[in-house]
Parts: sequence; structure tokens; C-alpha cells
Amino acid sequence: MVLFAVLCDVIGYFTKNSKLYEVSWWNLAFATISIFIAVIFGQIEAGLAEPYAASVSTLNAHTVLGWSLSVILAVVTGWRYVIRLQERPQLPIPYLAASVLLVGLVFVQSYLGSLLVWVYGLHSIPVVDAIRGGLS
Amino acid sequence: MNPELLEQWGSLGANGLPYPIPVHPQLVHLTLGLFIVAIAFDIVAALFPLDKNLFKFLAVPVTRSSLFDVGWYNLLASAIITFFTVAAGLFEVSLAVPLADVSSAWGLHALETMIMHGVGGVIILTLIVAMTVWRGFQRYSWRKDMARQVQWSYLATGLFVFALMFAQGTLGAHLGAEFGVHVTADQLLHLGENPNQL
Repeated sequence: MVLFAVLCDVIGYFTKNSKLYEVSWWNLAFATISIFIAVIFGQIEAGLAEPYAASVSTLNAHTVLGWSLSVILAVVTGWRYVIRLQERPQLPIPYLAASVLLVGLVFVQSYLGSLLVWVYGLHSIPVVDAIRGGLS
Repeated sequence: MNPELLEQWGSLGANGLPYPIPVHPQLVHLTLGLFIVAIAFDIVAALFPLDKNLFKFLAVPVTRSSLFDVGWYNLLASAIITFFTVAAGLFEVSLAVPLADVSSAWGLHALETMIMHGVGGVIILTLIVAMTVWRGFQRYSWRKDMARQVQWSYLATGLFVFALMFAQGTLGAHLGAEFGVHVTADQLLHLGENPNQL
């Protein structure tokens, strides 16, 4: 949703299509609600994970960035709310820069989460069985 | 796939892929997120006479047509990205070496799960594309001048596709989390090695 919001902003900026700014805002607003649900489930599942040694630092980084992103996203959405109320014809450059930075953080967070699932296999049955069998 | 054929690739990682993280599970989040937002906003827009007071209460300015814009552009993006989701899925399933001696929480074996997930993916792609065409006709032709841009039957179809996506997503999750497809640690454990070497 964040990725699509920023994509709409960039296309909207160059094509001057203000419809896309609205699409962007609503995707961002939806994402801001969703991220809190994602973080809560992430925290519950991370708490149940009993990560083995090699995966601990990645899990910690994913946790810290997840909570940080929920705050950053809320701030960016609030900023966007104010910009939207002002009914400007174009988005301010600092806002676009911040949202591109936000996309970068979302990519890092997805990468870390993917490492946890697809490389370290946390919560996959064979790893859970191995942890119960003494892997630490 | 046949292990001798897989050797033709030369250098596959322990996860059975020429790269560390599978691409299909990344792209599917875009498919799902875009589609769910599309249908959700069309529902909110269709029920606008009921929910507009809520927006007023929250002091969020809103127009009905912009909510329908979200429904349209998100669906269009979902239809485009899903071709790549399915393409990546077909590539990665062709390199899959699932654990053969287990059955999933749904009582299925790996091969059945792979086939159902593969066929399901093509069916859902077809439905998303068909719904995009349907949505386009409603937006630009049939209901161009109407306040409510989508038919109720369109929204009902969207909710039905949610249910298909739930089943499809669960099958896909079984492939990763139960059959260990492209999960490096699971494949190492299967080889009798310690995933702490990662």
C-alpha cells in the first residue's frame, strides 16, 4: 500500500493527475491502520518464536524497524493529511523525498522479514520440531 | 522436479533457488494488498450514504468519486502485478523440492498442494483480470453517469475472490512452512545439517 501510494504520487506529480493524489492518500491512510495490526501480530509471533542463535539479530532488527515504521508511517500520513487539507496543486518536494525514504525502509523491513521466514524458517514445522529437539 | 534435471542449473542454493529469497511470496503481497484495498474502497463508496457521516465525524474531507478512483486504480495495478506473481510462482514451483514424508494441516501431501495452488493461482489471475475488465466497463460506460459506480454483484464477486485468496494463501503457506519449499533452514535440517551455520 505504501509502495502503491508513492507510485501514485510520482505518476501524479509528473502527469499532474490530481485523482492519483487522492488514490495515494487513501492507500496511505489504509496502510497506517493496517501496520498496527501487522505489528501486533508480529510481536505475538516473535514472542512465541524461540529463535535460534543465528536468527536472533535479524529478528531484533525486524522488530525494531517494525515499531519504528508504525510511527514513521503515522507521521507521514499526518503530514499528508495537512497537505491534502491545503489543496495544493503539487506535492512539496520534501514530502516526496520523505516518502521515497519510507519506501526504502519498507524494502529493508520486507527483506528482514523474508530472511526470517525463507532463510531461517522461523515457525516452519521442521524448524519448530528442531527447536523442540534442542536447537538453540 | 527431477534431481538430475535440477543439477543442470549448476549452482542452486540450499533453498533450491539461484537466489536466497523466493520472489513469488513477495509479489503476492502486492496482489493481495492492492485487490483487498480495491474492493474495500468500492464497498465504502457504494455504502457512501451510510458512512459519509463517519468521515465528517473524523474531520476527513472525502468525495464519493475519489473512493471509487481507489477501487479502480488499485484493481488495475493488482491485475498488472499478478501476471508477475503467477510467472514467479510457476518458475519457483518448477524448482521445488518439497519434503515428501509429511502431510499438511489440511491433510494434503506436497504434490496435491502444489497442483491445487498452481491451478488456483491461474484461476485467481483470470478472475482478477475479468473483474478489471468488468470494473472498467462499469466505470467508463455502463454506469458512467451514476452516483454508484459499481454493481452489487461486482462487490459480491470481490468478496467471493477474497475467500478463494484465503484458501490459496493457506495452501501457499503450507508449501513454505510445512513442506519446506525454498526454506533454507528446512532444507538444511532435511540434509541433517545445523541451520545455525547460516
